[in-house]
Formats: sequence, structure tokens, C-alpha cells
Amino acid sequence: MHINFKQEVRHSKFAMFGIVMLLLLLIIAIFGPLLTPYQPNTQTPFAFEPPSFNHWLGTNHVGQDILSQLIYGARTSLLVGFSAAFLAIILSAIIGTSAALAGGLYDKIVMRIVDAFIVIPAIIVIILVAAYLKPNLLVLILLLALLGWQDGARTIRAQALSLKELGHISAARSFGAGNLYLIFRHILPDLVPILLMGFIYGVRRAIFMEAGLAFLGIADPTTVSWGMMMHEALDFCYLNVWRWWLIPPGVALSLTILSVTGIGHTLEGALDPRLRSEANA
Amino acid sequence: MFTKRNTITYAIAFLLILALNFLLPRMMPGDPLMAIYGNEALIAMTPELKAHLVERFALDQPLWQQFGAYLLALVQGDLGHSYYYNSPVSSVVLGRLPWTLLLVGTALIISTLLGIVLGIESGWRRGSRRDKSLLVSLMTVSGFPDFFLGILLLIGFGVTWGIFPLSGAITPYSGLSGAALVLDVLHHLFLPLTALTLCHIGASYLLTRNTMVTVLKNPYILMAKAKGLPDWTIRYQHAGRNALLPVITRTGIQLGRMVTGAIFVEIVFAYPGLGYLTYEALLARDYPILQGVLLIVAFSVLIANFLVDLSYSKLDPRIRYAH
Repeated sequence: MHINFKQEVRHSKFAMFGIVMLLLLLIIAIFGPLLTPYQPNTQTPFAFEPPSFNHWLGTNHVGQDILSQLIYGARTSLLVGFSAAFLAIILSAIIGTSAALAGGLYDKIVMRIVDAFIVIPAIIVIILVAAYLKPNLLVLILLLALLGWQDGARTIRAQALSLKELGHISAARSFGAGNLYLIFRHILPDLVPILLMGFIYGVRRAIFMEAGLAFLGIADPTTVSWGMMMHEALDFCYLNVWRWWLIPPGVALSLTILSVTGIGHTLEGALDPRLRSEANA
Repeated sequence: MFTKRNTITYAIAFLLILALNFLLPRMMPGDPLMAIYGNEALIAMTPELKAHLVERFALDQPLWQQFGAYLLALVQGDLGHSYYYNSPVSSVVLGRLPWTLLLVGTALIISTLLGIVLGIESGWRRGSRRDKSLLVSLMTVSGFPDFFLGILLLIGFGVTWGIFPLSGAITPYSGLSGAALVLDVLHHLFLPLTALTLCHIGASYLLTRNTMVTVLKNPYILMAKAKGLPDWTIRYQHAGRNALLPVITRTGIQLGRMVTGAIFVEIVFAYPGLGYLTYEALLARDYPILQGVLLIVAFSVLIANFLVDLSYSKLDPRIRYAH
């Protein structure tokens, strides 16, 4: 599994678009407070103002600056997406590799649980839990990670199982290498492409779900997020405020998900030899 | 073997969902009655009612006996009572179910058929201009969050041009019947259906296209070409037909994603199905409804997946031998 990522990505316009977009978003998210003079949560008496020099995207129903909300929304989206996906892929890696290497009863039990998690519709469980817990950002990230590791664990286990049979692994084992050593020294490095892909799709999933929950109005109301902006703006869609209130967060969210998809699709093409020639097209 | 393993998987999933549904309200700080029955119940609460509810849910008993009482009620088809609607949860849910079935069923069929046809066309000449433009546009559309796609359609066709109604599934108090009623329902269905369909074409399209790529490499395609068969016969009868199997079986898996997608689309259009019911329950903190809907949806998705898994091993003998 040795793939030249740089080359694959450079040859795909879709992936280049994704990476450039994500970097741009990252910069906006990091330097957000420098880009806007307003706090996204400060309510002012100046509600429903159309775009002007002071408020590029106008203000919402409680007089908050929409552009600042959009910028801070990028922070929420990326923070939740990346950290939930990161935690989830770590969980997948631990569970997948340990099941593959330990085998036996442990493997059997773990895989039944993995399968059960795969068939459970995650978003429904998350809606239910979120309705009760009213999660803040940290709880939300943990929740998304806890319900997002199963697919990765299955792929990683399958890959680790085939890696396990390779010559250099049995050679290392015959020299007395333990399971942990094998995992960190030989298995994990070869799993990097799969981990990366699981991570990318995890990011997309988490961003999507965070936005969905906020759109349903069950995320933390003090955290500014694109989903929440759309939730609030939808109530006023009969006014023409949707042009600067409803569309921008939707476009931002779609572009973010699209750029993550672009990167993921290219990686997937690179990993699947049948589609390989196409990834270079 | 395959079936047995599957059954265990689904039994575990079933139990996990049940346990979550049972434990969540009982683990909340404060009065469990409030968490089980929601705000509305407390207003109607009298000491007698309270005593009755405590007894029915065995709330004064240890946790495992409470779980027993909970299971017993479920087995009897009792999903609880909504004090917001002042009727049993099961009847509220059943009243909304047909709308969701209509929306999801139609969207599933249309998006799968369209995805297959477009996938076959796309995979037939991979790398051609038509393939590339199809790929890019479908990937773009399916990258949109379903609710945003719905919002765009709502603003465009509903608010700005006023071609389609903004919300609901039928015109209220119109007293329509017969053909006029059907037209009215279709008129209301169009926008949510389009949103849901557009969001889900991508999956079956990509799968068909990728399968076509593999199928087209088979010798029998070359043979068919050598026989001088017309293009479309090879495309649809030889290649397309063989690319169909994974798509058809995946359609069932799609069902789960579709139902959850429908939740968001229904909210945008205030379409009175289970999704919108969920939203109303969230707003009213009507926990019995919330629990009931999510339990039913989760179970339906589980059952659909289970049936797909079963048929998958029946349809494709390779799967059966692999296990």
C-alpha cells in the first residue's frame, strides 16, 4: 500500500479544489476574531438590517452581525469535524488492529458489536441523546466520535488481517516481536492511507451531523454554527432576508462538505486500483 | 451460518437501542417522570395520576424491574402517552407514517432508477465529456446537505416564483376529492421529493458507474461487440444488467439514510411525516413522542437492513460461500 499522495492530489482538480478551500476556511477560522470587529453573540437593537458597509451581510432578528456569525461558524464546523473524526479514527484503529491481531473470542465479540453499531442509524440515536443532554461542544464531539468509529474499525481490521500474513510481519514475530510492537512498528505505518481516508470521511460526517443537529435546534444555543443560523433564518424565509442570512451559511456548509468530499474521492480512487487510472484523469 | 451471525448482530443492535431508550430519561437529573413524560405532563399532573404513572413504570422498583415493565409495555404495543397531543403515541405516529412512506418510497424508486441509468451512460464511455460533466454535477449535488437543497428549492420555487406550496402535504380545509385530491397531494409532494431524490441519486449513480467499469472489462462484452450487436443492446442488456446487482441490494441500505434524510427535508417543507413530528416533539419537549418515533424509525431501518442482508446472500451465491 504505497501511494504517492502528492502526485495523486496534484493530478486531480477536485482534490486541489478541496485542499485550497479547506486551507482558506482554516485561515478564516483561526484568524476569525481579527477579521470582524463584532462578537457573533452580541445582540443589538439594530435587527434585520440589510447589508451595508458596517454589516457586510446585514444583521439578524436580534441584531447580531451575520458575517461574524458566518466566520465563527467556520470555527465550530471545523473544530467539531476534525476533532470528532480524529477521536473516531483513533478508536477505529485501536479496535480494528487489536481485533485483527488478537483474534479468537475477543475478535468475535468485538466484531459483533461493530456490526451492531453499523446497522444502527447513528443520526437517530444522536438526535435522541442530544435532545436529552443538550450537549455543549465537547459532549457533541465525544458523542459524534462514539457513534462514528464502527465503519473505520471494520475496514482497518480487514486490512490489518491481510497485513498480518505478510512475510515481514512473521519475520518480526519470529524474532520475538510482541503484538504492541508489531502494531506500532509494522501495521500502523502501512495503514496510514486507510486511516487517512477514514478520517476524511469522518470529518465530512461530523460536519454534516453537527450542522444537522444545530439545524434541528438541539445543539448548544450559545455556540454559533451554520446549522443554527439556517435554523433561525428559515423562520423568516418569506422576507427577503434569506439572501444574506440563509444562503451564505448554506453555501459555506456545502462548500466545506464538497471540498472534503473532493479530497476523499481522490484518495478513494488512489486506493482502489480499478478506479486508479481515473483518479489521474 | 451467515444468517445466524446476522441475527446475533441485529439482536445486539436491537438491545442497544432499547437500552438507550430506556436508560436516557431515567439517568437524567431531576424527576424521571418529567424526563419520561415531558413538560406537558407536569401541568396535567395530579397526585392520583402521578401514583398511577409511578406504578405503571415501576419507578419505585429497582432498575431491572423497571426495564421489565418497559419491555412488557412495548411488547403490548404501548409506546406511551403523549400529553401534548393527549393521545397514545402509537396512534400519533401511525397517523404520520403514510406521508413519510409516500415521500421516502417515491424518492427511493426515482433516485435509484435515475442513478442506474445515468451510471450506465456514464460508465459506458468513462472519461468522455458526458461522463465528466455527469460525475461533477452529481457529486456536487450529493455534496449538498439535504436540508440546504430543500431550502434552495423552497426559496426558488415556493417563495420567489410561487409555483409550489410552501408547506404541508395537502391544502387544508379544501374538501378536495378524487383526481383533484391526488393532484393536490402531488403538488405538495413535488419539492420535498425533488430535494430528497437529488440528494440520493449520487450513491446509486457512483456505484453503477464503478461497477460498469469492471463489467466492461469482461470478455463477453468484447464478444458482444465482435458479434456486431448494436451499442445500446450491449450497454443495457449485457453490461448494464450485470452492473445492477450491487445497486439493487444497496438500495435497501440506502433506505436507512433516506429515512433520516427525510427527517430534515420534511422539516424544511413542514411536511407532516415522522421527521416533522420529531421536530415538533423536540420543540414541545414531548419526550414520549420523540422516543416513540425514534424507536420505530430505528427498528424499521434495522428490519430493512436485515432483509437486505438476507436477500443479498440469496441473490449473490458468492456471498453465501464466502462465509
